[in-house]
Amino acid sequence: MATQLVAGNMAVIIGALYAGCDCFFGYPITPASEILHEASRYFPKLSRKFVQAESEEAAINMAYGAASAGHRVLAASSGPGMSLKQEGITYLAGSEIPCVIVDIQRAGPGLGNIGPEQSDYNQACKGGGHGSYKNIVLAPNSVQEMCDFAMEAFKLAFKYRNPAIILADGVLGHMVEPLRFPQKAVVPEIDISWAVNGNAATKGNVLTSIFLNFDELERHNLKLQEKYLKIGDNETAFEEYKVDDADVVLVAYGISSRIAKTAVDIARSRGIKTGLYRPITIYPFPDKRLSELAGRGCRFISVEMSNGQMRDDIRLATGCAIVELVCRYGGNLMQIDQIMQKIRELT
Amino acid sequence: MQNLLAPGHRACAGCSMPTVIRLVLDAAGTNTIVVSPTSCLEVTTTPFPESAWVVPWIHSLFENASAVASGVEVMMKRQCKDTNVLVIGGDGSTFDIGMGSNSGMFERGHKVAYICYDNEAYMNTGVQRSGSTPFCAHTTTTPAGELSLGNPRPKKDMPAIALAHGVPYVATASVAYPVDLRKKVERALQTQGPSYIQVNAPCITGWTFDAGTTIEIARLAVETGLWPLFEYVNGELTEVKKIRRIKLVDEYLKVQGRYKHLYKMPGGAEILRSIQDIADKNIAMYKLVD
Repeated sequence: MATQLVAGNMAVIIGALYAGCDCFFGYPITPASEILHEASRYFPKLSRKFVQAESEEAAINMAYGAASAGHRVLAASSGPGMSLKQEGITYLAGSEIPCVIVDIQRAGPGLGNIGPEQSDYNQACKGGGHGSYKNIVLAPNSVQEMCDFAMEAFKLAFKYRNPAIILADGVLGHMVEPLRFPQKAVVPEIDISWAVNGNAATKGNVLTSIFLNFDELERHNLKLQEKYLKIGDNETAFEEYKVDDADVVLVAYGISSRIAKTAVDIARSRGIKTGLYRPITIYPFPDKRLSELAGRGCRFISVEMSNGQMRDDIRLATGCAIVELVCRYGGNLMQIDQIMQKIRELT
Repeated sequence: MQNLLAPGHRACAGCSMPTVIRLVLDAAGTNTIVVSPTSCLEVTTTPFPESAWVVPWIHSLFENASAVASGVEVMMKRQCKDTNVLVIGGDGSTFDIGMGSNSGMFERGHKVAYICYDNEAYMNTGVQRSGSTPFCAHTTTTPAGELSLGNPRPKKDMPAIALAHGVPYVATASVAYPVDLRKKVERALQTQGPSYIQVNAPCITGWTFDAGTTIEIARLAVETGLWPLFEYVNGELTEVKKIRRIKLVDEYLKVQGRYKHLYKMPGGAEILRSIQDIADKNIAMYKLVD
């Protein structure tokens, strides 16, 4: 198996290509642009399609068009671009069209800057656009996972006919780590009998999110909610580190989980029983295990680069009104000392 | 000359854009509000809490500077103020993502002067192609290689799009011709209604040339016929800058890294001839040579 040093934004492209992704539609935005560059270099070489759109909206709607025909589509952007894409994403979700979208989060709100943040959590996990819909959201924390989760995202998107988002950030996109290449490419054996191809075979298929009859739209919504429940039952994923005897549990995803893990080791070296709970799927949020830990009397600290957007989910999962928050904004990563101070306050 | 773009901004050494902006602002004067979409200009002149702008300046998102300018213009009129409202943006926002709001502003007839400093790609995000990128230029999303000789499409004709909206003043200009540029900005601001000026603005990082030759590169674009300097008033071609000694496009292309693959790769010579054809068409269409 080949191992190579690559950047996270490149690893996404490698994962997508191994997952049988056959088209990419993008638009420039820092810090996600390298995904666009690499796609423009590699997709044509491998007889896949690369199109640079004239806007973020155009890119996501090109994705909508290609995905409607059953193609395996990748799109990528960052904060302001993701905001522009929301209309397209709600249409994908409403029409149940699979698509993988990478969000290399940057600091906001508004134009913000191009440093890392995790403040698109709500936008990705709670819908983001209008209507009662959910995206499947995976949160890698290494270059390896940028590749692996790209493959996983395609699997889940097609399994549930739903948009899947890879929620990374500026650090993950740009940092360079060894990547073990996937052992083999996925030959997509997927059911795309729902797709529309402008031929007699697919003539009866309808992909739509417009239901003018109120009851029909209600039924459509109920069907979607049922699907989301099923996704929640089957697909939650998390990783835990030294939580078995922990009094204090740090909850962190993505790049923050790497920092939190170091804090766990330091706290343990000082005799404080600390653990890390790392959601891998952040929608569906892996709540059952957290609920168990809460039942055992653990205290929780959410470590995230946002104003506690994930903390709300931890509160819901644990039933704890008080969940502490360690955060940084503006493109700054949190410091180990900051986490240690909060752990000391709790113990 | 008054300097309404203060020194200390963070544009690259050799960037043409600050010179373009200084000339534009000098012509516009202090009774001016500038709207800028996201661009190199915005990033290099306004790193909070610093600003290089001596006149009032407002930033919008990438796709809606013309909408913001429309709002500003409407309320300046409402306040009975005769203030110049300028949009100054790059080609990514002008040609691509901002096209919808440009079209709206042009069609509604707001008295806004739109200045596009055209460096022919998304330079701020790392040299990706835009609708303005010329034929067969290398960019990070149209990389020259086995399967590609660079950008496969010709440059979008944005002045023609402005003209099709009935924009009463449409002109091209160049950083190498400052007197011409200033004059055109003054005329744009005297126009009752929208105006559009597209200024050739070489980019040292995206086009890759020696930082001391920016103005020479810009002048070569004009002298080869690839960047004709013209002016349309109410849809009529009213002025064309004649070229005294026309040059071959080769002189312009060979000094830029974005075209160097055309001198090495198979098929390059044919492309060079096609680019000469583009220049020749301009020379004939605008009667650039007496």
